[in-house]
Amino acid sequence: MTLLLAIALPVALGALLPVFRLKTGNRNLYLMLATLLTSALCAYAIAVDIPALRLISLNNKLTITLRLDEQGKIFCALVAFLWPFAMLYAFNYMKDEHKQTSFFSFFLMSYGVTLGIAMSANLLTLYVFYEVLTLTTLPLVMHGGSQKSIRAGLKYLYYSLGGSAFAFIGLAYLVYFGGQTTFVPGGLFKGISLMHTQQLRLGYLLCFLGFSVKASVFPLHGWLPTAAVAPTPVTALLHAVAVVKSGVFAIIRVTYYSFGASVLAGSYAQYIPLALTTFTIVFGCTMALKEKHLKRRLAYSTVSNLSYILFGAMLLSAQGLTAGLMHLIFHALMKIVLFLAVGVYNKRANAYYVDQVRGLGTTLPLLGVVFTLSSLAMTGIPPLIGFISKWALAEAALLIGGPLPLMGVVALLISALLTGIYLMVPAVTMYTRPSQGNQLTPVEAGFKVTLATLSLVVLALSAYSIPLIDYLARTAAQAM
Amino acid sequence: MNWMLPVMVFLPFAAALPAFLLGRRKGAASLQLMIGANLLVFALALALFLNTKGTASFAIPGFVGLGLNLTADGFRSLYALVAAFMWLMTSLFSPQYFEHGHALGRYSLFSLFTLGATLGVFLSDDLLTAFVFFEILSFTSYVWVIHEQTPQAMRAGQTYLAIAILGGMTMLMGLMMLYQRVGSLRFEALAQAAPTLGHDTLMLPGLLILAGFGAKAGMYPLHVWLPKAHPVAPAPASALLSGILTKVGVYGILVISTRLFFDDTVWGTLLLVLGLVNMVLGAVLALFSIDLKRTLACSSMSQIGFILFGVGCQALLGEHNALAAQGTVLHMLNHSLIKLVLFMAAGVVYLNTHSLNLNEIRGYGRRKPGLMLIFLTGAASISALPFFSGYASKTLLHEAIVEYFVHLLDLGHSALLYQAAEWLFVITGGLTFCYMIKLFVAIFVERHPSRQTSYDRMGRSMSPLSATALGLSALVLFALGLHPEGWLTSLATRSLPFLHAHEPAHAVHFLAWVNLSGGLKSLLLGVLLYPLARKWLMVRDEGGQLVYVNRWPAWLDLEDRLYRPLVSFLVRTGTLLCTPLDLIMDRFVFPAVSNSLTFISRVLESLVDGVSLLLMRTMLKPRYEKATLVPHGNRLTYALGRTADVLTGLIRRFFGMQPRGPYHYVRLYALIWDTAQDTMRRILRTLSFGLILFALGLVALLALLLLR
Repeated sequence: MTLLLAIALPVALGALLPVFRLKTGNRNLYLMLATLLTSALCAYAIAVDIPALRLISLNNKLTITLRLDEQGKIFCALVAFLWPFAMLYAFNYMKDEHKQTSFFSFFLMSYGVTLGIAMSANLLTLYVFYEVLTLTTLPLVMHGGSQKSIRAGLKYLYYSLGGSAFAFIGLAYLVYFGGQTTFVPGGLFKGISLMHTQQLRLGYLLCFLGFSVKASVFPLHGWLPTAAVAPTPVTALLHAVAVVKSGVFAIIRVTYYSFGASVLAGSYAQYIPLALTTFTIVFGCTMALKEKHLKRRLAYSTVSNLSYILFGAMLLSAQGLTAGLMHLIFHALMKIVLFLAVGVYNKRANAYYVDQVRGLGTTLPLLGVVFTLSSLAMTGIPPLIGFISKWALAEAALLIGGPLPLMGVVALLISALLTGIYLMVPAVTMYTRPSQGNQLTPVEAGFKVTLATLSLVVLALSAYSIPLIDYLARTAAQAM
Repeated sequence: MNWMLPVMVFLPFAAALPAFLLGRRKGAASLQLMIGANLLVFALALALFLNTKGTASFAIPGFVGLGLNLTADGFRSLYALVAAFMWLMTSLFSPQYFEHGHALGRYSLFSLFTLGATLGVFLSDDLLTAFVFFEILSFTSYVWVIHEQTPQAMRAGQTYLAIAILGGMTMLMGLMMLYQRVGSLRFEALAQAAPTLGHDTLMLPGLLILAGFGAKAGMYPLHVWLPKAHPVAPAPASALLSGILTKVGVYGILVISTRLFFDDTVWGTLLLVLGLVNMVLGAVLALFSIDLKRTLACSSMSQIGFILFGVGCQALLGEHNALAAQGTVLHMLNHSLIKLVLFMAAGVVYLNTHSLNLNEIRGYGRRKPGLMLIFLTGAASISALPFFSGYASKTLLHEAIVEYFVHLLDLGHSALLYQAAEWLFVITGGLTFCYMIKLFVAIFVERHPSRQTSYDRMGRSMSPLSATALGLSALVLFALGLHPEGWLTSLATRSLPFLHAHEPAHAVHFLAWVNLSGGLKSLLLGVLLYPLARKWLMVRDEGGQLVYVNRWPAWLDLEDRLYRPLVSFLVRTGTLLCTPLDLIMDRFVFPAVSNSLTFISRVLESLVDGVSLLLMRTMLKPRYEKATLVPHGNRLTYALGRTADVLTGLIRRFFGMQPRGPYHYVRLYALIWDTAQDTMRRILRTLSFGLILFALGLVALLALLLLR
C-alpha cells in the first residue's frame, strides 16, 4: 500500500494542480509538501521490507505488481533524495516563465512515474511506467513552446517510441521463453538448462537496444543533446537523473533480473553492448569537447557517463555491477550540480556558451566553487567520488580481462582526459577577468541552498562512502 | 597508529579555509595565519624527524578505494621536514613579497592545500595514496602559477594543467595495470612481487607511472611547463614549485625504481639517459636565458637531471648502489635548499627592481653584502664548490658512475656509453658553474649603465622577517656543507632503508684528492667557459654598453612545435569522425527508413485504390439516363396529382382566386418520384452501399448465431 501511495500521490496531486487555482506561494508550498511527503513514503518503504503488491492481473502470467527490492531501493533512494532539491530549484528558476502550472503539474507527475519504475516487480510493470514516463516528460521538454522545443520534444517522442517497440519485442521473448516477467535475482533462466539460448540472446539484444534509447547509447543517443533546450530543472533532473537513469536501471534489471548473466556471458549478447558502450564513452566526450553550448556539452557528457554505468553492468560480474551502481549514484549527484549551476548562469548571467562565462567566477563565487568542484569530481580527480567509481570500473574490467574490457579501460582513461579538458576549460574561463564588468541580478537563496547542499553531499561521499559501496556490493552479489 | 602523521597532513587542509576567509577582509592576515599553520606543521615534522627510531604508521582502510596508508621512516620524515621547512621559510618571506599583492586569501588557501598534499605524498606508503595526494597538489599548485593572472601566466598555467592532467591519467593507467599484476600497491608488496614478476611484465606499467611522476619532476620530454611556469609564479611559490614539487615527482620515480626495477640495467640506462638529457639541456638553456627566474628554472631542470642520473645509477649498480643512493638523496636535499635560497633571493631582487631581466637588474646587488652572501651560498652550492653541500652530493654521484663503468670494464664489457655519461656529467658541472658565474657577475659585480646610483641608494632590500627567512635558509645550507662527513652523511644514511640500499662499504672522504680533482675539473671548465660565453652572449648596443642578448631558442619549444599541434590535430580528427556519426541516425537512417516505408505504404494504398477503381468501372458502373424535361412519374403519382389538382381548383374557385393549372401537382409528384428513383439508383451502385449491406449481413448472421 505504501508503494502504491508513493506512486499515486504525486501523480494525483500533480494532475490536480491545475484544478486548485493557487497563488504562487501556496502552490510552491503544495508542491514541496507533496514532494517531501512522497520522499518520506519512499524512505519508509526503503527502511521497511514491504511485500509485493499486485495491482492488476491481465492474465496469470502478466500482472502489474509493485515491489521494492535492493536494486529498486537504490534507484528509489536516489530519486527520492534529489527530487525535493530539484523542486526547490525549479521554484526559483521558473519564477518568471509562462505556463508554470502545467509545468509543475507534469514535473510532479513525473516523480510518481519514476518511482513506479523503481518499484516495478516485473518487466511488464516497468514497461508500462516507462512508457508513461515518456508521455509525462514530453510536455516538459516542449515547455519552451518555440519551434526548437517542439522539434526537440517530437524527436524525443519518436526515439522513445521506437525504443519501446524494440523493448517490447524483448518483453515478448521473455514471456514466451520464461513464462513470466518477474524480476528474479540471477535471471529467470538461472540453473535451468536451455535449448533456446540463441533466441534468448537475440531477444535480449533487441531489448537492450530498445532501452538504450533512454540510456543514450550510440547510435540512439540523438535525442538527449537536442532535449537540452528544455528548462534547466527538466534537463537537470530528468535528463541527468530520472529519465536517463531509468533507461540504465531498466537495462540492469533486464540483464541481471530477467535474462540473467548466465545466459548472456561470453556471447555476442554481451560483446555487442560492451562494444557499443565503450564507443559511446569516447564518442560522448569527443562531441562534448566540440560543443560550445554549455547545456549541450553537459548533455553529451551525460551520454558518455551513462555508458560508464552500462559498461560496468555489461561486464556481467558482481564487481562490474557494483562499480556501475556506484557511478549511477555518483554521476547523478555530480551531473545535477553541474546542470543546476549552468541553469543559474543561463538565467541570471545570460551565459549560454562557454566563452560567456568569463568572469563569472568572481561575480558569482559560490556557483564558481560548486561548478569547479563538480568538474573536478567528474574528471575523476581523487579523492572525489568520480575517481572512486572510475577506479572501481577499471578494476572490475581488468579483473575480467580480455580485449573488450581492456579497450573499455583505455576508453575510460581517454574519456577522463577529455572530460578534464571540456569541464576545466569553462571552470578556468570563469576565473579569468572579463573585458567589461558583468551586471548581474543577485542569486536567490533557493539556488544557493540547493547547490551548496548537494555539493556538501558530494564532499561527504568523497570522504566516506564505504557503507554505501558495501551495500551496493551486496546488492550486486545477490543479483548475479 | 601514530596520529602525528594524519595531523601533519590534514592540519594544513583545515587551516586553509580560515585563511581564505580571513584574506577576504585583509590579505596580510591570511599570510599570517599561513605562517602560523606552517610553524605548527614544522614543529610536528621536526618532532617526527627527531623521534623516528623505527617507523611510524597510520592507515585509514577503505579511503578512496584502497585505503590511505601513511608511514614515516628515515627518508620520509626527512623530506617531510624539508617540505615543512621550505613552506615555513617562504611564508616568512611572503609578507614582504606580497605587500602590494592581490588575492592573498586565495594564495594562502591553495598554498596550504598544496602543503597538506605534499606531506601526504612524502608520507605515503602505497602508490594509490601517493597518487591521490599527487593529483590534489597538481591542481592546487596550478593556482600558484596563474596567481598574477597576466596573459603569460594564464598560458603557462594552461600548459601546466594540461601536462598535470595528461601525466595523471597516464600514471593512473600504469597504476591500474600494476595493481592488476601485483595485487597491491603498497611499497613492500611491490618490492616483494617484483623479482617474481620480472622485467617484462613490469616495464609497461613502470614506464606509464614514470611518465606521470616524471612530468611533475620536469623530466624530458615532459619538461615543457618548467621554464614557463616557474618564472610566472610569485617568487615564494617558485621556490616551492622548483624545490619541493619537482621532488614529489622524483619521490615517485624513486619508489618505483627501488622497488620494481632494483637491479635492472635497462631501466637504469633509460633513467641515466633521460637524466643526461635533462642535465645538458637544462644547463644550456640556463646559459642562454637572460631572465633571472627562467635561468633558475632551467637550472632546476638540470639539477633534476642530476638526480635522475643518480636514480639510474642506483638501478644499474644494484646491490652496490650505496654511493648512488646517498648521492641521489643528498642531491635532492641540497637542490631543495639551494632553490629555496636562490628563488627567494630572486624574489628580493624583483621586489626592489620590478624586473627580472638581467640587463635591468645588473648591479643591483653591488652594495648589499647580506644578499650577496646569501646568493653566494646558493650559487656556490649548486656549482659544487668544495666546502659547500652541493660538492658532496655531486661527488657521490660522480663516484657512482665511475664505479659502474669500472665494474663493467672489469667484467670485460664495453662501457662507452657510461664513460661518455661521466664526461657529460663533468661538462654539465662546468656549465652550471658558468651560468652561476654569469648570474653572480651580472647582479653583484657589474654596474648598471644608468640606474646604478639609484640601486646603491636603495635602502634595505629585505625586511627583517624576510632577512631572517633567507638568512636561516642560507645558514642551514652552508652548515650542511661545511663538514660533509658529518650531518650530510648521517642524513644520507638514515634515508638508505627507504631506497633499499645498504651502507657503503667504506666511508667517503670528500676531500680526498681523487674526489677533489673531479670537482675541480668541472669548476675549471666553468671558469674557462665563462669568457667565451660572455663573448657570445653579450653584444654592444647603441650606447656602446655591453648588454645581454636573449639567445633563448624559442624555435626549439617542444610544446609549441609538437604538443599543441598534436593535441589539436587529435581533437580535430576525433570530432571530424564523430560528428557525422552523431547525425547518422537523424540524417541518414531515419529518413531512409521512413522514406522507404512511406513508399511501400503508398504502393499498397494505390493497390487498394486500384481494386475499388476496378469495381467501379465494371460491376458498379452507373448508368446515367438522359434527364427528361418532362417528369414521368407513374400511375400513383398521376392519381394523387390529379386528386390534389381538382381539390385545389375547387378550393380556389370557392375563395375567388385564380386557378393554378390542371397538371400542377401531377408534375410536382412526378418530379419528386423521379428524383428519388435516380438517387436510389445512384446509391445502390456505390461500393460503400455494397459494403454496408455486407456488414449488415454479417451483423444479422452474428445476431442469428448469438440468439440461437
